[in-house]
Amino acid sequence: MEKLSKEEVLHVARLARISISDENTLEKYQYQLKELLDNIDKIKEVKGYDEELMFSPVDHQASLQEDVPGEMLSFQEVKKNTPHMKGNFVEVPVMINE
Amino acid sequence: MSNYLDLSIQEINNLLKKKEITPVDLVEECFRRIESNEDLNAFITLNKEQALEEAKALADVEVDNLLFGLPIAVKDNIVTKDLRTTCASKMLENFVPIYDATVVEKIKAKHMIIVGKANMDEFAMGSTSQTSYFGSPRNPWNKNCIAGGSSGGSAAIVAARLTPFALGSDTGGSIRQPASYCGLVGMKPTYGRVSRYGLVAFASSLDQIGPMTRNVYENALLLNAISGHDDKDLTSSYNQVEDYTRLIGKEIKGMKIAVPNYFMSDIVDSEIQDKVREVIECLKQNGATVDYIDIDYVENAVTLYQIIAMGEASSNLARFDGVRFGYSAPDAQNVEELYLKTRETGFGDEVKRRIMVGSYLLSGENAVTYYNKALSIRDDMRKSFRKAFQTYDLIIGPTTTTVAYSLGQDLDDPMKSFMDDVLVIPVNMAGLPGMNIPIGMNQDHMPIGLHIIGNQFEEAKMYQLASFLEKELNLDLDRKERS
Amino acid sequence: MEYQTTIGIEVHCELKTNTKMFSSAKNGYGTTANSYVNIIDLGYPGALPIINKGAIELALRAALVLNCEINKKMHFDRKNYFYPDLPKGYQITQARTPIGIHGYVEIDTPNGKKKIGIHDIHIEEDTAKSIHTAESSLLDFNRAGVPLIEIVTEPDMNTKEEAMAYVEKLRELLLYANISDCKIEEGSMRCDVNVSISKTEKLGTRAEIKNIGSISNIGLAIQKEVERQQEIYENGGTIQEETRRFDEKKGKTVLMRVKETGNDYRYFPEPDIPYVVLTEEEIESVKRMIPILPNVRRDFYKAHGMSDINSDKLIQNRPLSDYLLKAKENLDYVIASNLLLGDISAYLNKEHKEIEETMLTIEKFESLVDKLASKEITSKIEKEILVDLLEKPMSVEEALKEHHLTLVNDTKVLEEIVTNIIKQNQESVQDYKNGKDRALKYLMGQIMKETKGTANPVLVNELLIHLLNEE
Repeated sequence: MEKLSKEEVLHVARLARISISDENTLEKYQYQLKELLDNIDKIKEVKGYDEELMFSPVDHQASLQEDVPGEMLSFQEVKKNTPHMKGNFVEVPVMINE
Repeated sequence: MSNYLDLSIQEINNLLKKKEITPVDLVEECFRRIESNEDLNAFITLNKEQALEEAKALADVEVDNLLFGLPIAVKDNIVTKDLRTTCASKMLENFVPIYDATVVEKIKAKHMIIVGKANMDEFAMGSTSQTSYFGSPRNPWNKNCIAGGSSGGSAAIVAARLTPFALGSDTGGSIRQPASYCGLVGMKPTYGRVSRYGLVAFASSLDQIGPMTRNVYENALLLNAISGHDDKDLTSSYNQVEDYTRLIGKEIKGMKIAVPNYFMSDIVDSEIQDKVREVIECLKQNGATVDYIDIDYVENAVTLYQIIAMGEASSNLARFDGVRFGYSAPDAQNVEELYLKTRETGFGDEVKRRIMVGSYLLSGENAVTYYNKALSIRDDMRKSFRKAFQTYDLIIGPTTTTVAYSLGQDLDDPMKSFMDDVLVIPVNMAGLPGMNIPIGMNQDHMPIGLHIIGNQFEEAKMYQLASFLEKELNLDLDRKERS
Repeated sequence: MEYQTTIGIEVHCELKTNTKMFSSAKNGYGTTANSYVNIIDLGYPGALPIINKGAIELALRAALVLNCEINKKMHFDRKNYFYPDLPKGYQITQARTPIGIHGYVEIDTPNGKKKIGIHDIHIEEDTAKSIHTAESSLLDFNRAGVPLIEIVTEPDMNTKEEAMAYVEKLRELLLYANISDCKIEEGSMRCDVNVSISKTEKLGTRAEIKNIGSISNIGLAIQKEVERQQEIYENGGTIQEETRRFDEKKGKTVLMRVKETGNDYRYFPEPDIPYVVLTEEEIESVKRMIPILPNVRRDFYKAHGMSDINSDKLIQNRPLSDYLLKAKENLDYVIASNLLLGDISAYLNKEHKEIEETMLTIEKFESLVDKLASKEITSKIEKEILVDLLEKPMSVEEALKEHHLTLVNDTKVLEEIVTNIIKQNQESVQDYKNGKDRALKYLMGQIMKETKGTANPVLVNELLIHLLNEE
C-alpha cells in the first residue's frame, strides 16, 4: 500500500474503540499497521480458481435446539464479574448518542 | 524423594490401582516440581489448595481410567469455574469464570487434576508468549530462549516435566510451534473435533484446543478424553470419536507420504531441513513412499491468515468493553470514554495492533477487497489439500523454520510473529489436523520438530506415523532439573 | 407538478418463543432485571451461540405468510458496533442470506387492492433494555438475545394511508399466524419509516424516522415529514440523509443524527454458526402449522352473508374467530356472529373469561344457533338459558326444560289460544283486513304474552294467518 495516513490510523482506532493518547504512539502504530497491511495487500495479486467463498469452517449443517428453557444465571453469578451494578441493573456511565 | 511423574502412564496407573501411591502423592510431587522451576514463569495462576483437595477426594474413588488422578495444566484462555482465567491480559486480570469449558468438564470427568493455568501470549496473539501481561515463559532447554507461542507456558510445563499433560490452543500454530521449540508432542486436532465452548475466542473459524504431552501415546489418550460432539458448540463435529491409540505401534509399510516443496524451501534453516531429510530416508527404508508435491496457495497462507484471524479477532474482542466483566477504566465520564480508556489500558500492544488491522480489513469496501477474497482463496486452498489426500495418507515437513530463538529478539517487528508460523498456518486455514513430534536437536542442543498433517478426522493415522518415528529415533527429551 | 411521496418501512418484531434466539434463557417480560440471562446473553468470554429451532420455525412461518421465496441454505452474519446494550459488540443477523426474499403484502386502497413488495425478512437478536438517568445508564439484559425478525419493504407506498394500512395488515397477519405479540406500545413491534419526496422519476433523498410508537403516529409522522421536506425543497434547500424520530408532544419529526458516511458495521459471516439448511419437508410442515389467515376468514364470512362490521369485529377478536372456525359449514353465520359478538361477548367481558373456558361447546353453540334460525326458540329464551349453557354442562334441550321453556308445539293448544286472542281483539282483526300489517304483529305479541313466549312462533304465525283469513 502507498501510504497509511495518521487520519486513517485514527479512524481504525476509533472503529476499534482504542484511544491513542500521544503522537509517539500514533506514529508507532502508523508504521506497524503499514508494515502489516503491506503484506496483506499481497492478496490483491493472488488469483483464485473459483469464486466460492468459505463462509463456514465446517461442512456439517447447524443442528437446531428445541425451544425449551435451560439454566439461567443467579443474581450472584451475574454480579460476580460485573464492574458496576445498581440494584439488579448493570450500570454504565451516561450514554451520549441518542 | 520419589519421582513418580517420570514413570509411564501405565506404570503410574498400576501403582494407583494397587494403592501404592495416591493422587495426593502425584499432586504434591507436581507442586514440588513447579515450585523449584518458578523461573520458567510457565504458570499464571496455581490451583494448589483446590488441587490437593480434589486429590484427597479421589482416595475412595475407583481408578477407572489411565488418566485418573494425573495432574494437568490448562492454557489460560480456557475458562475454569472458580479458577482465575486471564488470557494473559490485564483485561481479565481479575476474571473468575462462573462456568467450565467443555474440555475442562471432560478432563474433570476423567478425574484429572488441574494444577494451574498456563502462561501464553495475550489472547493467544503471538508466537513467543512474550506478549503475556504476566511476563514471558522460558524455554526449559535454554532459559534465555523463547518457549514459543502462543501456548508457550503449556509447552514449557510439559518440556520441564512439571506435569505430564497440558492443554493448549492452536489458531495459527500455537500448539505445534511451541511443541517444536520445546521438544514435545503437540496435536491440533481437526477443526470441530474438540469443543470450543469455553475457549476464549481469538479467531473462531481457526481456533482449536489440543493436547500437549511428553510422548505420542499419552497425547492420543488425552485426545480421546477431550474429543466429541458438544451441543454447546455448533461447529463441533458429529464425526464419531474413535480410539486414537488404535494404530499406535502398527507398521508404516506402504504408507504414502507427501512433502510440499514449499515446506523444504530456503525459508527453512538447513540444519532443520537436514533432520527432516533423515526422517524421510528412515521412512523410505521402512517401506513408505515419499513424494514431493505442490499445494496451491500455501505460500499465501500467512496473508490469508492475517486477514481472517485479525478480522475475526477484531469482532471477538469487542466484548471486552468494561461493562459486564473484566477491567473497567475508572472515572469515565461517559460510555465512549469508558470504551476508549478500558481498551487502551486493558489490551497490550500486539492485541491492539491486531484489532485495529482487523477493523480496517472489515471496514467498508475493504470487506470485499480483502475479506471476501481471503474466504475465496481459503476455500481453494482447502480443496487443494483435499486433492492431495486423495493420493496420500499424510503430509509431512518441518514444523518451524528455525529453532527457538533468544527472548527479546525482534519484539517491535509486527511481521515476525506471523512468519514464525509460516509452516503451520496452512493447516488451520484448511481445518486439518496437524501435530509436532521431536525428531532431534540442532548443534546448540535445541529441539527440532517434524510436522505431520493428516486428512480431516484421521488423527489415528498421524499417531501411527508419529509413534513409529518416536520409537525409531528414541530421543532423550527429559529436561527435568531435580532438586 | 405535485411532489410524489415514496415510503418504505422496516418493521422489527419479537418472536413469540419460549427461549432466546441463540441461547436457552427464557424469553419473557416483566420479570426482575437480569434474571432471564445466561453467559451467552451476557456475551461472556468463551460462550458460543446455539440456535433456537422454534425461532427459526416462526421466522419461516412469517416468510411464508408474507409470500416470500425461502432461502433454504442460509447463514448468519455479524454486524459490528459498540453500544452498551449490545453485549458481544456485534449483533448476529442475516445480511447475505435472509430467510425470505421477494414477498408481498396485499392492502386495500381506495383504488382497489395493492401489493406492497417485501424486499426481505431476516432473523436477528434483540439488544438489552437501557434506562437513562441523569448520573448513569442502567442495563437489563433480559431482552438481549430475544429473537427478532426484521421485515423490509420495497419503497412501494405513496401515501400515509397506504403506510398505515400496510402496518395494520402486517400486524394482523403476524398476530394471526401466532408469530409475534405485535404490541407496538410495548416495543414487541417497532416501525422505522423511510420517507422521501420528488417531482421526478428519480427518488429523493430519504429520511428515516425511527421507532414510531403507534399506527396513527405513523400517519402523522409521515405527514409532518413530507411537509418538512416540501418546505426545504420550496426554499431551494437540499435534504440530507438522516435519522429522525417523531416527537409526539411537538407533533413533528426531530433530528437524531445525520447518517454516518459509508458502511462501518463491518459485516462478515458469523463463523460460530454453520449453515442452517431448511428441507422441503420442514418448510411444508411449517406451512401446515399456519393458522387460517384473516383474509381467508373474511372471504368465508362474506360468502355466508355476515356483515362487514361483524366480520371485522370477529377478525379482531381472535379467540371468538378461532372458536367459530370449528363450527359446521351450514350454520347461520349471521345469527352465530350476532350471538358471539352480542350476548356471549357481554358475558365473557363481564366474567373476564375466554370462550374456551366456558361450558359452551361448539356443538351446543351450533344447536342454539340452529334453534334460533328455525325460530324454534326466540332470542328472549336464548337470553334466559345462555348463562346456564355457558356455566353448566347441560344441553340446550336440558336448559329449556330446566327453565320450563320448552316450546308449545301442540297445534290444538295453540289453536285455542289464538282463537281466544282473535275474539278479544276484534278491532285489530278489522285493521288486518284493511291491510294494516302492524295488526298482525300486535296479535302475535298478545299470543306470546299469553304464553309467556313459549309458543312456537312459526306455528303461531301460520295458525294466526289461517284463522284470520277464515274470520
